[in-house]
This record gives sequence, C-alpha cells and structure tokens, in this order.
Amino acid sequence: MFAPGGMTRANYRLLDQDIRALGAEALADRQKTLERSFLLQGITFTVYGAGNATERIIPTDLFPRIIPASEWATIESGLIQRLTALNLFLADIYGEQRILNDGIVPRDLVMGSPAYRRQMQYLFVPNGAYVNVCGSDLIRGQDGTFFVLEDNLRVPSGVSYMLANRDAARRTFPHTFREAGVRPVERYPDLLLSTLKSMADQTRSNPQIVVLTPGVYNSAYYEHAYLARLMGVPLVEGRDLTVHDNRVYMRTTAGLRRVDVIYRRVDDDFIDPLAFRLDSSLGVAGLFNAYRSGQVTICNAPGTGVADDKAVYAYVPSIIRYYLDQDPILPNVKTFLCREPAQLSHVLANLDQLVVKAVGASGGYGMLVGPHATQAERDTFAEALRADPCNYVAQPTIQLSTAPCLVDGKIEPRHVDLRPFILSGEKVVVTPGALTRVALRRGSLVVNSSQGGGSKDTWVLADRHSEAETP
Amino acid sequence: MMLARVAESLYWLGRYAERAEHVARLAGVMLNATLDRTDAADQATGIALAAVGGGSTLDPGDAMEAARALVLDREGPVSVVNSLASARENARQIREQITTESWERLNLLYLRATGTAAESAFASDAPDFLQRIIADLHQFKGAAEATMSHGEGWRFMLTGVYIERAQLMARLLKACFGGAVAVDDHVALVSLLRMACALEPYLRAFTADINARYILEFLMFDEDFPRSIRFSTERIQELLTHLSAGRDLGRHDPLRLAGRLNASLTYADLDEVESGGAGELLAAVSAECEAVHAAIYEAFVAYPLEMRLPA
Repeated sequence: MFAPGGMTRANYRLLDQDIRALGAEALADRQKTLERSFLLQGITFTVYGAGNATERIIPTDLFPRIIPASEWATIESGLIQRLTALNLFLADIYGEQRILNDGIVPRDLVMGSPAYRRQMQYLFVPNGAYVNVCGSDLIRGQDGTFFVLEDNLRVPSGVSYMLANRDAARRTFPHTFREAGVRPVERYPDLLLSTLKSMADQTRSNPQIVVLTPGVYNSAYYEHAYLARLMGVPLVEGRDLTVHDNRVYMRTTAGLRRVDVIYRRVDDDFIDPLAFRLDSSLGVAGLFNAYRSGQVTICNAPGTGVADDKAVYAYVPSIIRYYLDQDPILPNVKTFLCREPAQLSHVLANLDQLVVKAVGASGGYGMLVGPHATQAERDTFAEALRADPCNYVAQPTIQLSTAPCLVDGKIEPRHVDLRPFILSGEKVVVTPGALTRVALRRGSLVVNSSQGGGSKDTWVLADRHSEAETP
Repeated sequence: MMLARVAESLYWLGRYAERAEHVARLAGVMLNATLDRTDAADQATGIALAAVGGGSTLDPGDAMEAARALVLDREGPVSVVNSLASARENARQIREQITTESWERLNLLYLRATGTAAESAFASDAPDFLQRIIADLHQFKGAAEATMSHGEGWRFMLTGVYIERAQLMARLLKACFGGAVAVDDHVALVSLLRMACALEPYLRAFTADINARYILEFLMFDEDFPRSIRFSTERIQELLTHLSAGRDLGRHDPLRLAGRLNASLTYADLDEVESGGAGELLAAVSAECEAVHAAIYEAFVAYPLEMRLPA
C-alpha cells in the first residue's frame, strides 16, 4: 500500500482516505458485521477436533488489496502463456512424449511422479485442455515483480472466497469501490459454465453439466454448493451417478438422466474405484472407462498433477520455451533440484537460508523454513535430504510482500500472496481478480488456510490513469 | 426432474422442520399448563409426552425438566434441537437447491437453538425461547414460500411437511382419545387445542363450547384448518398428483395410497367414529402415512436401477 518513504501508492489513495474517514470503531463494527454475515451464509469450513466437529469461518480481512491495470496486464498475459504451455506439456506427456525424448525434462522425473496416471496415456481430451480450472499462486517480490510460486492444476479451490470477499468489500467501502473503477469478478460462474460446456462432446445438443463433490463433510463443500448454485447445475455425489454401457447417468426422481461433463472436486485417486483407488467410496465405478470412450468429460482431467509437481515446476520456463518459443512473462522463483548432486551440496551448505519442500506435499506441510528452524530441525531435514534427494527441492526464502490488515482493532502489515483463477476450454481466460491469502500471524510466511491463514479481496483496476505516486 | 437424493433431502427437511415446530409447541403448552392447577398440568404433561412417542422415559411429574429435555436434549430422538440440526443438515446437503433467503433463516435458527447461550436462555424464560423458535420456523417457511420456485423440489418438501403433520396430529389425538378413558377435562381440552395450534380457529368455528366431540371433529375432519388430518391428507394427494404426473409408477404408486387415505377421511362417518372410538381410524391414518412414505421412496428415491435404464 505504501511506497518506500511512506507515501501512499496512487492506487491506494482513495482507500486510504476512506479508512481514515471511518475510524477504528466503525472499522471494528464492519469487521463484526462481515464475520456474522459469513457465518449466516454458512461460508465455513469444518474443523475436526476432540469429540465434536465445529464450523468456523475463514478469517477475512476488510481491506482490499489493489492492483493497478498495468501490473495486472503482465500477470494476465503471463498466466495465459503459462497455462497454454502446461496444457501442451500434458498433451505431450500423455501422447508422444517429445519433450522427454528431446531430453528437455528428465523422463524419470515425469514417469516416476506419483501424480502420473498411466491410465491417461493416449487419451486425448477436447480442446487439448487437460487443466480447465487453474489457481496459480503468485508472490510479489521486493522490486514489485510477480513470481509464480506454484501452479495448482489438480483441484484448486478458493474461488468462492474471491466472490464472497468481493461482496463484503463492496459493502464496506462503497465509495472507494465506485470511484476506483474495479473490474468485476462476478462473471466467474458464467465463464466456468461455458468452459465446461466447451468440453462436452460437440454432437450433444444440450450437454448436462454437473459438479461432483465428495460430500458435505469436505472442507470445501461450501464452495462446491456455491458454484453449482451459481451455475444452475446439479451438485452430485458419487452415489448419485451410475455408469451403464459406458454412459454416465444421474439418478433423478424421473429415472436416469445422461451426464455429459463432470466438474469434479474429488481427487484423482477417488473418482473411480475400478481405475484408481479400490477403497474409494466417493467415486463412481466405471466412470474412467466411460471417460476413455469419450461419452463423458471429466474436468480437470485426471493426471494433471504431473505438471504441478514441485520438481517439474523448475522446468516450466524451459517448457514454455519448448512449446511456445517465447520467454516466460512471469518468472519462477529460483529453485534448486536436490536430485542434482551439485545443487544438493549447495542446499546442504545453505540450509539456514533456504526453504526446503517435499516434492509431493502441499498445503504447507512437509517443508522446512530454514531461517526460522532450529539447528536440530535443520539436521533432521538434512538427513532426510541425503536419504532421498529426489524428493526435495529448495528455494531461497522470499520476503513475501505485505498488505495492511485489521488485526485486533489495529492496522498492521501481514504477508500476502495472490491466487488468480484461470479457466481453459476453447480459450484461456483469467478472471480480473484473485484471492489474496494472508498469513495472519505476525511475521509468518505461511498463508494456507489449514495453517491459520486468512484472505482478503483483490481489486484489479480498470484503467491506467494516475499511476504516479503522490504524497 | 431433480436428483433423487435432493428430493429425499428436501422431503426430510420438510418433515424435520414440521417436527421441530410441533414439539416446541407441545413443550410450550406443557409449561403454560403448569401455571394452573396441578392435576391439569399433570394431564397436559401426560398428553404431550404420550404424543411424542412411546418409550419416553421423561418424568411427567417434573414438567420443567421434561420440557427442557424435549427441547434441548441432543440425545432425545424427537427433541427440538435434534430436529433442527437434522433439518439444517439436510438443507446443507442440498444448499444449492434452496434459496439463500430460506437457508439463512434456517441456519440462524439452528445457530441460536444449538449455541452456548441456548441453555441459559431457556432456563431464564422458556416460553419466550420457544415462541421465538416457532416464530423463526414460520419465518423460514415464509421465506421459502416467497422465494423458492414452487416446482418439484418445493412439492417434495411440502409432502414431507404434510406427512409429518398428519402423523403428529394422529399421534396427539390418539394420546387423548385413543385410550379407554378419553380426555374430557376442560383445561386439558384447551391444552390440546393449543398443542394443535387450533384454539382460535376452533373458537371461531364452534364458539367457546369446549367439547371433546367437536374438538375431535375439528382436528380430524375440518376442511380448512391447516392442522386437521384431513387438510394434510388432501394436500398430500394434491402434491402427489403433481409429482407423479406423466409417470408410470407401477404397483408402487404412492398416489393411489394417498387417494385412499384421503377418501377415508373425507367420507368418514362421524357417528361411527364416535361410537367405535377414534382409535381405530387414527391408527389407520398412521399406518397409511407410513405406507405412503414407503411408496414415495420406492417411486422416486430408491427405485431399482434395472427398471429405469434407457432402452
């Protein structure tokens, strides 16, 4: 929000005035109203503790984060470029594997990845769009450059918070919102629906789309129901679907009805007990065969995780160059692959300055933040590194940018990242907005909601006027 | 056309909401009666406890504790909080099918009735607590009526409401008139009318002539009173006529059963009912409601897949 020297950045000037005009008490009131409204709407996730499961709201911060049009233009074109390349990469991996044959990406890295799905080999998806919904995590470095930290290509979530936060922020700062010229995010459900429709067998005149949820006990259930409601399509569970003659049907009150596209919010492993995990009761037996035969489309395609692996991540710039013959618009964070002996020894020598991550893990689990760890923790990790170097990558500790947040009635800086949502069907579109995740503990760099993170609204401004910084 | 599971949840949402309202009202009347003479209070408590189902281990001598258990006991199978939690759980499973307006009413009600402040609110002013629950349920029903599409889903929910209501009323009347000794005490009869939410409509129909025969007639056969059994069976028949239109439901046709049930009330011989005791007809109503319920499941929800595969 503030430029070096304490000046308010131009894009924040209106908001700054608004905040000052409101005063601390009114802000605290609005924060309470907001939390109550989230609880009432049931925008909650479930925490399982001793005895009873309780529902909690995800902490939401009142102040929007504001991104000027020029910065957004870079982000947008960068994300489109990146997802286009990743879809080409997936089509190649599950096809001829030219990129492996040409030695650009090591074969064992891909074929040995736990997210690689043999069942997908030579299965071609409509539009070549393996990833239909992507939620990349971006961070803003100290010089203002945005880096891609992670591509989430499997079952990314959080988009309902983007929409709910917008609703809340617009009510809290109506004046600023009107004056600032904020680009709308409300079309997301619409765009998602047309993306899903474009993935249907084009000979079917009125394709039936459904959202597949693991059920009411899933922590993202609210989002599944929300998206189904806003798209106007049924929210189904595995037990509502049945497969007959390689066609998928849902059980309705009027008998069975054909399903064409499944937007699944169930992990790969659980969608079909016959093709993947035998012990899954969330999925539909025979679904994968129906998919192979082209009678139904599953979105995102199974096996996309092979491209958002933390080790494959290091190769994404080369992947972009290989397929598109372009330089990446959004840079990666410098990544050391511990599988390379030279890089491993560098990592071991500098453990106190690096963040080490397990390749397969996500959600902020299985990682070591070097500068914040004790010597004992670092020693344990070093041992694990030497034992199984292929399983680890390391990155320099990046000082995430901060944004002002309302904490216990006071305005304090907290570290944030940025998760925009990209849709890819017939074409690739980026919704002008994002989920800004906030590390609510002072100084913490972990923004995951499972680790005490919160979120705030993100305003993308429509025009480029008044970008200069003023006192 | 809607998902079978969704129809099922809407049906149960209707049933649980109705049950919560009814039990809250029974508890309220029970507490109110304790303000009068003690033997009338005992009678009212006896009626209420008998009406919520057999096997009740609650002590009729302690009306306050019995009411508390009926309302707040999470272990009690018919307790108000349990019904509210089930209604809300069903609504949550089909969150995308009901409007935000109706969901928020129900969710708010649930949060209030199950929150940490509920026990103390009940202890300090139980009648007020119960009145608010009933008013909130009316708000939920009103919001649903005003904002939801009155299509298939709505009809499944209402079918649940009326099947539950017919059964609850049959059980309540059976508790009063089904046994060897029918209730005829004035205060107890007024309590009964209150439990059926029928006092004012009854007075308008029969004036202040509080008479067991008239009450039985009113609560069983009145055409216009929304809690009479006949009113419910007529709605069930109407709703099922719509729901099964254009479908071949074969031998499990719930409409046939609902029609038969409604006819048995519409064309009942009042004198016969009176001389033979109402117990038989009330037992038949309960059994027929069970049968309609089972037939609805067979026809719309749990049908065998082989019957419905495309040719």
